[in-house]
Amino acid sequence: MIQPYDLSTNPMNTVEWLFAAMECVHIGSFALSIGTIAMVDMSLLGAGVKGRSPAQILRATELWTVAGLATVITAGLAIFSSDPLRYYYSPTFRFKIWVLLAAIVFNYTFHRRVALSGSSPFIAKATGAISMILWVTIVFSGLFFAFNPGGY
Amino acid sequence: MSLATLSHAIQSTDFFTSVRQSELFYPTVMATHLSCIAIFGGMILMTNLRLLNLALKHTPASVVIESLRVWKRIGFVVMIACGILLAGSHLEKYCANPYFQLKLSLLILTGIHGLIFHRSVYYNTRLDEEGKLPAKAVIAGGASLILWLSLVVCGRWIAYYDDPNAIAGLLRRLAHLV
Repeated sequence: MIQPYDLSTNPMNTVEWLFAAMECVHIGSFALSIGTIAMVDMSLLGAGVKGRSPAQILRATELWTVAGLATVITAGLAIFSSDPLRYYYSPTFRFKIWVLLAAIVFNYTFHRRVALSGSSPFIAKATGAISMILWVTIVFSGLFFAFNPGGY
Repeated sequence: MSLATLSHAIQSTDFFTSVRQSELFYPTVMATHLSCIAIFGGMILMTNLRLLNLALKHTPASVVIESLRVWKRIGFVVMIACGILLAGSHLEKYCANPYFQLKLSLLILTGIHGLIFHRSVYYNTRLDEEGKLPAKAVIAGGASLILWLSLVVCGRWIAYYDDPNAIAGLLRRLAHLV
């Protein structure tokens, strides 16, 4: 028998400090995931770690990126569980999730291929720039939703 | 003049009043502050992990530090500028907030940290010469990691603080648990 979900039994709503702690985990782990992706992006833009190719930076950071993404999404789901309908019906939150899906797909297909294969400088720079824009858009939409869940 | 009057005067200037009242500008500044944590904070994190010998092991630590320095500087300036706008526009409330006071103290400690390890680690081009990073590099990386994570936690906790007795209450509960 499926029980209806009762918000008031969720530790995220009953334990006073848990929501804020999850937000801290969310912020720390997006710094890890987005920061490592940004290092590859900087490399693609020609302004990364000196003497290292985008492929080398990608190889050296990819496990940290995955760990960061897994943590940030887990913490995000915990935050989401505190009031799922409020998130579900928010246009800003929906936008965030679509861009997040696009960013993850982009990161593990095109971005990865360009970083590993060494494309033309134009393609490399464009890929780095698009990646940065996608990830910053996600941070912005997350904040704008938190600031005004009613939507803009 | 007390701190409360001074902070009230600062946040009441036309400039900070318009920041506070703007519907889009204020969240935009906050989102920029957060994006800086994502991109440049992430680079600080990776530098610390390199100094701790946990990441980027195939690249000398001095090369990682030197290459990312310009980005971390740009990020730091933007982050601080946003922080001034955010805190300045609510300065009276912030000054009375212990987490804000703690965050400022941690920022000062971060500056002192940079000075302490300036020559021996951060500007040491011979840092990797021994093949193994010296203990001071590991200490610098660990201290920086703790400082920056604490800064993020304080930043978030500022937003949840509204009760002057909250910390005392929290300590009492913790004492009770122990």
